[in-house]
Amino acid sequence: MDTAASWIQQEVENGTSVLYLTGAWRLANLAAISDALRSLGLRVSKNFVLDGSRLQELDTAAGFTLYRHLAELGCTQTMVSVRGFDGRHERLLALVHQRMTCPPAASKSVHPGMVRRIGAATLNVWHLLTAHVAFVGSIALEVFGLAREPRRFRVSETASQFETICIDAIPIAALVTFLIGVVIAYLLGIQAQRYGANIFVVDGVGLAVCRELSPLLVAVIIAGRSGAAFTAQIGTMKVQEEIDAISTLGLSPIQVLVIPRLVAIIVALPLLVFVGDLTGIAGGMLVSALQLGISVTTFVDRLHSVLPMSALMVGLVKAPVFAAFIAVIACRMGMQVARDARSVGINTTSTVVQSVVWVILLDAIFAVIFERLDI
Amino acid sequence: MDTIARHRQDQRPDTVLKVDSVVTRFGQDVIHDGVSFTVGRGEVAALIGGSGTGKSVLLKEVIGLLRPTGGTVNLLGTDVWNCEPEEMNALRRRFGMLFQDGALFSSLSVAENIAVPFRENTNLPAGMIPPLVGFKLALVGLEPDTGRKTPAQLSGGMRKRVALARALTLDPEMLFLDEPTSGLDPINARAFDDLVRVLSDSLGLTVFIVTHDLDTLRSIVDRVIVLAEGKVIADGPVDTVMKLDDPWVKEYFSARTHVA
Repeated sequence: MDTAASWIQQEVENGTSVLYLTGAWRLANLAAISDALRSLGLRVSKNFVLDGSRLQELDTAAGFTLYRHLAELGCTQTMVSVRGFDGRHERLLALVHQRMTCPPAASKSVHPGMVRRIGAATLNVWHLLTAHVAFVGSIALEVFGLAREPRRFRVSETASQFETICIDAIPIAALVTFLIGVVIAYLLGIQAQRYGANIFVVDGVGLAVCRELSPLLVAVIIAGRSGAAFTAQIGTMKVQEEIDAISTLGLSPIQVLVIPRLVAIIVALPLLVFVGDLTGIAGGMLVSALQLGISVTTFVDRLHSVLPMSALMVGLVKAPVFAAFIAVIACRMGMQVARDARSVGINTTSTVVQSVVWVILLDAIFAVIFERLDI
Repeated sequence: MDTIARHRQDQRPDTVLKVDSVVTRFGQDVIHDGVSFTVGRGEVAALIGGSGTGKSVLLKEVIGLLRPTGGTVNLLGTDVWNCEPEEMNALRRRFGMLFQDGALFSSLSVAENIAVPFRENTNLPAGMIPPLVGFKLALVGLEPDTGRKTPAQLSGGMRKRVALARALTLDPEMLFLDEPTSGLDPINARAFDDLVRVLSDSLGLTVFIVTHDLDTLRSIVDRVIVLAEGKVIADGPVDTVMKLDDPWVKEYFSARTHVA
């Protein structure tokens, strides 16, 4: 069935080549039709007549394949004539013939080499960083503008952002830090019990939770929760042209969208870290009481004498810095969304990755700074 | 392929779409209260009606996206809401749908968008697809170069043309258009209308348009179906429907004439 004869036959009548098309010339049979055309071994010497009297069906894909084959052989439009087609097929062929005048270029996908890709990625990171710095600059300008005209600060928007960033996040932040408190106390307890040094678990839990774990974990949670939300919200507004609408109304998108979020998250994160400190220590307390025989009173008493205020402050001081980085990255990635749905997703993912990397990087920088300052 | 071929051969009714007493209720709200009409092969039919009369809902019910509360829809010889999933899949390859804002896949380039139906529904060798994609672009009057762009880079008119090319990839027998000219300037809108008419005449397409555009009705539509208060209140050639003694129809046609 898949032979040339079942789709097309060449006959010579009065010195002209007549091509009889047969069967259903449809997309589903296109591969076979294409093979049939090639195996016919046509040569361009004279004019062709296409005869459609034996044709059952014809669609544009098949018509296109036929004309493309003839064109590749070097047939010009005038060398091909048609006869015997029913009206519908003839109109279809005419349309195909008319529209395919420009030979469509096969779209070549470019596969850049390794070096080029590394270079492009490096440049991308560089552009990203410089753009972040520029964005910080424009936020700073708007903040100065607000300082001169404080009543333009959006209190209610800030308050509502604060509610979603802080109040709504309390359960998840408390749960995660509580569990980490439990884990730390349990692991420390196993070691400490060997030396009969159970009571030192209190020192370990207090310091680790307040100084490192609570700020870090809460910041990561907020980066995933609120950072992603900022990018998605602002990005969707960008797609819907709402950002342009804000500018057109004579408002500054940074003042309306970015500064309330920035302020809210900077206030919220230290508070959440404090909640995390409490629940983390509570987790440690629970394990100490159940597993290590340290009563709650003993635990609190010991904590009071071994946990310096500075350890708590170190954790709380880091939080607003993490918060500022998360907000700037998230808002900028939102503003940078292109006008399509896909880029909202890409930028949201990018926000979370960048925020988490920055939080950990900043934490390392803080560790070095505090060590030098002997805190 | 065998199933498709069989469908084509033994079912060639003159009626390609038959909507029979379709009822749609969302909770308490009755959207359609017994809507019936038919569309014949090769016709260009338009569905009009005020906002909220359920035109888009009806379109979704016809193409199998939303199940009506009652009634039947027979499209190209298949009972849309009472058939096997394989039959429905075979049917889906026989009609094309142009969504209001194009609904192009934003993660794919224009060429890849058009190639999707080829890749998913045919077993063409990979080498044959790019030339066909280029041809489909040419068919809707776009430069082959457009293929490399992403949907976000296109103007509204171009997006609609690309969406039309995607709807036409598998050479459907029937084409559904949801507000094809909305958001286009009058020149582009008329050009798009002409394109639809040329394609429907040359390819023998049956076209079903949901539209507000009076110029579309006047220039390319054979028949108008008017939907109001959950029922079809008029069904016929544009000239006949225009003279109908119904307050909404009168206001619709007179309001638009003044503007034009």
